[in-house]
Amino acid sequence: MNSLQFISLVDTQARMALKAEASKLYLSYLWWVLEPILFVLVFYFVFEVLLNFGRENFLLFLMCGKIPFLWFSKSVNTGSNSIVQNKGLINQIDIPKTLFPYTSIQEALYKQWVVFLVLFAMVMFYGHWPSLSWLWLLPVILAEYLLILLCTLLGAYLVAFVGDFRMVIQMGTMFLMFSSGIFWDINSIGDGQLRELLMIYNPLAFLIDAYRQVLMENAMYDLQHLALLSAGLMAGILMVQIVYRVQSRTIAAKVVAG
Amino acid sequence: MNTDKKTLLAATNLSMTYKTRSRTFRSFEHHALKGLTLEVKRGETLGILGRNGCGKSSLLRILAGIVHPTSGQLELQSGLTRSLLTLGLGFRPDLSGRDNAILSAMLQGKSKKQAKATLETIQEFAELGKFFHQPVRTYSAGMRARLGFATALKTDVDVLLIDEVLSVGDTHFKHKAEQAMLEKLNGHQTVVFVSHNAGQIDKVCNRAIWIEGGVIRGQGNTKEVAKSYRQFMNELDKEKGV
Repeated sequence: MNSLQFISLVDTQARMALKAEASKLYLSYLWWVLEPILFVLVFYFVFEVLLNFGRENFLLFLMCGKIPFLWFSKSVNTGSNSIVQNKGLINQIDIPKTLFPYTSIQEALYKQWVVFLVLFAMVMFYGHWPSLSWLWLLPVILAEYLLILLCTLLGAYLVAFVGDFRMVIQMGTMFLMFSSGIFWDINSIGDGQLRELLMIYNPLAFLIDAYRQVLMENAMYDLQHLALLSAGLMAGILMVQIVYRVQSRTIAAKVVAG
Repeated sequence: MNTDKKTLLAATNLSMTYKTRSRTFRSFEHHALKGLTLEVKRGETLGILGRNGCGKSSLLRILAGIVHPTSGQLELQSGLTRSLLTLGLGFRPDLSGRDNAILSAMLQGKSKKQAKATLETIQEFAELGKFFHQPVRTYSAGMRARLGFATALKTDVDVLLIDEVLSVGDTHFKHKAEQAMLEKLNGHQTVVFVSHNAGQIDKVCNRAIWIEGGVIRGQGNTKEVAKSYRQFMNELDKEKGV
């Protein structure tokens, strides 16, 4: 299977899965928009109505963090099970095992752009009009995509060997939710060194801050940091791909015996 | 490998051991294959006979290149393409028969366009009617098998490995499937065909191997191998008082 066939297969599978999912629900594709809107409403109710958070634009602040985070956590958690879930197919044909995590990620990606549209609508609702500087979001989104790829490929590999990793991954994403500055601003960490460390070792914290810089502050994030991060992620993905290639049949044997 | 150009696949001393976790840090070991040596020659239809759990499916998976054997060697001619056909597995229940047929073809290396081009014949052969556009989860077992067989038939590979396909479907479809298989077999297709049914092997294969308990118990002429397999099964019946 060459790369073109691989990409076409990933794309076709992801589209078909979305179509199947939509056909099972009465509101079908409408859920893609409804889901994030309901999220916003729930948060609005908790933080603005119940808790009456004083912070200006807190809801917007929250959504700029939560929506990118949800993309990450959903993709990684679903994608990590993708190899195990495709046992039937793995039993039957010798195919690159990366196909399954990639398909799962692609499926999430196709939904995500709708969710991002909802986010942008909200940003505009709060009076931040789109400008050319919004284009600086593209590298941020790309970097997050790379992060999702690396984490999911690793996750799916580990879960294929030891099912318990599924629990570890769930705990891990929970930990990330609290440590990435979704409900709070990482710039409020007093200790500058600590903040730097968090930014370096938790790429999600950096990325979420970058989303906010562009969308809310009309400011620029640390481009060099982003470039280094992306390069590191790409190197990581490349290495994991090699492991997958070398161990393709070992993974199959493990899943088959599973 | 044997210098004989006719040999497509040569397996030497294949063993397969499965380890599954039973309790925390304990595992259960199952030796499915214990040192099998066999060859597959170009153009032949090799039948593999054996009762349930004798290691047939493990052997097919190794021959298809899906897993490595635990020990032993599998040598094949360079550039050899292989495909394993098993039914009922690998279909996505939420997708329609049509979408599943497209995916199956693409998984076997066809482009999306080529995959779509085969749809008509698949639909016709599978006789699914309007169900072809319904999700596979709404299919009966027989319908799923028909779709599986129809998609599988479209593959173009050097070695076709077939796992108990003919034992599914109603009598009409069984005959149709058998005929379609024979057409393929009479061509130059190399086939390894697995079954627990001696009659079936006898009907379609020119050479047979009988596996029992992970080792080869007999091989060679289809009729003779089938005969000793039947004898063995009869004795088994007597032993258990059936």
